[in-house]
Amino acid sequence: MSEFKILEIKQAVFEKNDRQADQLRIDLKNEGIFLLNLMSSPGSGKTTTLTRTINLLKNELKIGVMEADIDSDVDAITIAKTGAKVIQLHTGGMCHLDAGMTKQGLAGLGVNELDLVILENVGNLVCPAEFDTGSSKNAMILSVPEGDDKPLKYPLMFQICDVLLINKIDVLSVFDFDIELCKARVLKLNPNIKIIPISARTGEGIPEFCDWVKEEVKNWKGVSHE
Amino acid sequence: MHELSVIIEVAKQVEAIAIENNITEVDSIVLQIGEISSMIPRYIEECYPAAVDRTMLEKTKLVIEIVKATANCDHCDQVFNIVDSEGHCPICQTKDWTLLTGKEFIIKEIIVC
Ligand SMILES: Nc1nc2c(ncn2[C@@H]2O[C@H](COP(=O)(O)OP(=O)(O)O)[C@@H](O)[C@H]2O)c(=O)[nH]1
Ligand SMILES: [Mg+2]
Ligand SMILES: [Zn+2]
Repeated sequence: MSEFKILEIKQAVFEKNDRQADQLRIDLKNEGIFLLNLMSSPGSGKTTTLTRTINLLKNELKIGVMEADIDSDVDAITIAKTGAKVIQLHTGGMCHLDAGMTKQGLAGLGVNELDLVILENVGNLVCPAEFDTGSSKNAMILSVPEGDDKPLKYPLMFQICDVLLINKIDVLSVFDFDIELCKARVLKLNPNIKIIPISARTGEGIPEFCDWVKEEVKNWKGVSHE
Repeated sequence: MHELSVIIEVAKQVEAIAIENNITEVDSIVLQIGEISSMIPRYIEECYPAAVDRTMLEKTKLVIEIVKATANCDHCDQVFNIVDSEGHCPICQTKDWTLLTGKEFIIKEIIVC
């Protein structure tokens, strides 16, 4: 007789997180809080874009930010200067946030009064795509210096996002980045994605992104149940 | 590399299951990975020792079973392997099909001493 015992588990690894994320989304919907999960490679311009976006929206929406990108609080300090409510999440070197960590972060931030919470996720294009945070919508930034072939290399990220910001278009002339080719590659992966070219440096395109955010927040608050 | 964060999640879930069932030593973990899931078995295997380092699973072996990617043709109802047939139905050649298996990432079972 074997001394080993087999314990049948049949547990889908992502299912637990997916369930937590769905529950968080329902809770946020009922509270009328829109959570935007912002993802990109390090240095694509998440913090710079957020600063500009908050400055344009802060008279209309009450905004909170959760900083998870790097463990130091430099980004949080930058964001705090806009007047938005901000919390630094300590991810302990984890390469993504899951729904449980996101929920804790929201509790730490205190979201009762807020209309819009933006999560600056950990800077990478792989792990955050695998873990649903419970966000209402997903946004990503691809910056011109990273190259127009990123959709071919990281398809999942482009598939799960609702809006893509192509940032740093002020330096387009210096790089051989083909915007139209990039758009075509992204739309092939995800026909429903909204693509907005921006420059967080000059502010170009930011108003269009703000309009998208306002519309989504309005829709989210409009219908109170799933 | 996302395989590391994913295998850390697997280890966490297995530890929780072990504790729940009063198990102190796990001999092996059997994972089922779909042929076209975003997880690459070789990377999972490479990351595994780091994920279980200094945990109760440190001596636990990892076994990976690959689940074939199968689909059901929307036109002629043929069930076929989409990798072998390069994405189209081998009978009627169309590319309209519904995926049946191949995207799994499942902790199938654990073997305890
Ligand atoms: N030229 C240019 N530089 C930018 C733009 N947006 C951000 N940057 C620069 O890119 C670097 C990284 O930006 P940051 O917002 O910190 O990126 P994050 O790591 O994604 O938060 C900084 O030096 C920014 O000044 C842009 O639109 N154009
Ligand atoms: Mg940043
Ligand atoms: Zn057929």
